[in-house]
Amino acid sequence: MMDTGMLSRVADSLYWMARYLERAEHTARILAVKLEAILDQTPEDAAQSWLRVSGALAWPMTPLADSQRAGLARTFTLDRAHPSSIVTSIRLARDNARQVREMISTEMWAQLNRLYLRVNAATFEHDWNRQQVAVLRSLCDEMLLFAGITDSTMRHGEGWHFIQLGRHIERAQLVSRLLDLHFGALPADVPQDLRPPQYADWITLLKQCTAFEAYCKVYKADVEPKRIAEFLIFDPQFPHSIRFAVDRVQEELGLLGAGGVAGKRAVAERQAGRLKASLDYGQVDELLAGDIDGFLRSIQTGCKSIHQSVYDAFIGYSVDELLPG
Amino acid sequence: MDARTHLATEQPARSRPGHDRPLLDYALGRPYDEMFEADGTPRAHAAALLDTLTGLPPEELVRRQQACEQSFLHQGITFTVYGHEDATEKIIPTDLLPRIIPGREWDRLEAGLRQRLTALNLFLKDVYNDGRILNAGVVPRDLVYGSKHYLRQMRGVPVPLDAYVNVCGTDIIRGEDGALLVLEDNLRVPSGVSYMLANREVVKRAFPDLYRACSVRPIEHYGQELLATLRELAIGFRDDPRIVLLTPGIFNSAYYEHAFLARQMGIDLVEGRDLLVHDNMVYMRTTSGVKRVDVIYRRIDDDFIDPLAFRRDSALGVPGLMNAYRAGNVVIANTIGTGVADDKAVYSYVPEIIRYYLGEEPLLPIVETFRCREPAALSHVLANLDTLVVKAVGESGGYGMLVGPHATAAEREAFGAKVRANPDNYIAQPTIQLSTSPCLVGTGIEARHVDLRPYILTGRNTRLVPGALTRVALKRGSLVVNSSQGGGSKDTWVVG
Repeated sequence: MMDTGMLSRVADSLYWMARYLERAEHTARILAVKLEAILDQTPEDAAQSWLRVSGALAWPMTPLADSQRAGLARTFTLDRAHPSSIVTSIRLARDNARQVREMISTEMWAQLNRLYLRVNAATFEHDWNRQQVAVLRSLCDEMLLFAGITDSTMRHGEGWHFIQLGRHIERAQLVSRLLDLHFGALPADVPQDLRPPQYADWITLLKQCTAFEAYCKVYKADVEPKRIAEFLIFDPQFPHSIRFAVDRVQEELGLLGAGGVAGKRAVAERQAGRLKASLDYGQVDELLAGDIDGFLRSIQTGCKSIHQSVYDAFIGYSVDELLPG
Repeated sequence: MDARTHLATEQPARSRPGHDRPLLDYALGRPYDEMFEADGTPRAHAAALLDTLTGLPPEELVRRQQACEQSFLHQGITFTVYGHEDATEKIIPTDLLPRIIPGREWDRLEAGLRQRLTALNLFLKDVYNDGRILNAGVVPRDLVYGSKHYLRQMRGVPVPLDAYVNVCGTDIIRGEDGALLVLEDNLRVPSGVSYMLANREVVKRAFPDLYRACSVRPIEHYGQELLATLRELAIGFRDDPRIVLLTPGIFNSAYYEHAFLARQMGIDLVEGRDLLVHDNMVYMRTTSGVKRVDVIYRRIDDDFIDPLAFRRDSALGVPGLMNAYRAGNVVIANTIGTGVADDKAVYSYVPEIIRYYLGEEPLLPIVETFRCREPAALSHVLANLDTLVVKAVGESGGYGMLVGPHATAAEREAFGAKVRANPDNYIAQPTIQLSTSPCLVGTGIEARHVDLRPYILTGRNTRLVPGALTRVALKRGSLVVNSSQGGGSKDTWVVG
């Protein structure tokens, strides 16, 4: 049977569920990789690279004391009051999933609920204190497991497409922000003595995008910023590259329903098409010689516009012009 | 073979209640016990269960109970407790040990329920149309028209198949002599059926061998039966009607059930804000524009369903829904206004209602009921508050009642004053010692009071799945099984 349109509220919840989980996974991976990397760094280098992490996770960039650094990882993992901590993102994902309990499979719900109960258990903070990296890694695994369960137990209908859309819009934004802090000009609020990324920082960046091994397969182990930029921005086949994520966004948009209001859906498709074209035909040499900063920010604003257009077309449309008579 | 002979020859060491572990604290008293005869020998249909329970080490029973609770927690079969800082989720209490009902007894119960629902549907049609039963003086006119659940907006409104009550949960109890009695009907938006199904799932996993050996009748098709019922109501609509389940939303205590049933039936779970009425048609907002809705299985109370017709402050309902319904453009199940027939005062007339419409004797007895509106009954009630249960007629869920034997003199005094001030609003019944059933308490097995709520579906036909929700009063000696008052539930096996 063909899909004949799903409830707008439900589509919205599925979309946000996926975005929050992508955010939680990204945060957990960035922190886990960082905490491992500092073992090999001098305290000075470590402090510098923590500034990048805090910037990527949207934390005000100010010099950090050692104690604050420990606090940073803790805040982004455990702080329920912080709007983008892992615990908060998982809670919001689960709140959205609970809204659409009848649309997602029992297996999906059970996995997400288990994850939620785990990070909210009284013992979780204690576990995290003892084994920060292991706990963060296992949270990533749990979220990957959720994605796998979603792929194999939910019908790949419109609801599934909204999940994919949310996941990849979020990913394109998160990865472009992370890259911006490595390649872009330093924002005004950054201490201007922040050193350019060192060798270790480039390795860390690749690992934070799960890209180290895939990168080596393509470019061997030549760690070169230009190649890294090329890979993480333009590689058409690697799931955490910006181009891959934007391709999926564009593709998923084409598979959604007809939209509530004629014309609005086309706006979103046009925006995604333009973004895709800039990645399909962009070149890394040009970027590095020109305005890579502006390019990465245009990805972020492009994703924001697509998000708004999707909302206008499918979720928050006005019904007045649609009703007969 | 007589069960006891069987016991003597093959199971000489069978544990006895009150004597052996794990039954050391199992008290047999005045109430009928579902597992043991009064002298402590197991009932024939419960012998296999008893053997399984006493054959397992107590730790193993506890482990299985925990596995079952874990499964409830992961599935989200929970309610939320709000503390000062955080909200924590607690599972709906569930007991692992199934309550067993012999098949022949179930069949008699089922026949009685079918008869009862047939009569109640005829009664509802009558009181919202000609009022013949009122003209005949069988049921007092003011009792019906004065009920707060009688909704004038429903007068003369045609109802598909004349089926007013499409989903009914009737509470059945067992008296001290073992007879099954109707305690009350829930004809509005009865809940709990998802716990019946969830309990079955976990108990099957806990006792697979016992389950197979007992030839338990299956209940898993409840979702299909409900969907078939809802489809039947859409006569004169499209061939493939759009059916939705209307929920108040995630903050409702039964939200798990709403989502569960929607999933079982494969229908959309909608909230009031997803629906809109235009030109007396009901639509829902989708990602492909607005779509017509034909049948609404609503889990919102009458009062809240349409702010234009009923409570104006309701943010849960759909403005204009009642007019769409009156225009015949949408089916609402259960029909609006059915509460007039599960009023506790009308309850006492159901035997007469059955005789009046069907010309048959009621197959299921009810509990002796004193209507305080009658002067002789009122003085009897006031003189015997210490032995009676007194209930406000329009309330449910264990609210607004006095359990005389468990109340203090001051409570009885205060409640008596309320009854005297407004006798029409009260009925009283003798305190019935509900039957007891084995439950896992700590590491032992103890007797706890239970009732039984089967679910009856009515469309073109009346349907029941052979099972029910058994509600348990978890506190020792307590007779209150309502989940709002700390009750739990357990699986119910109809065997043979």
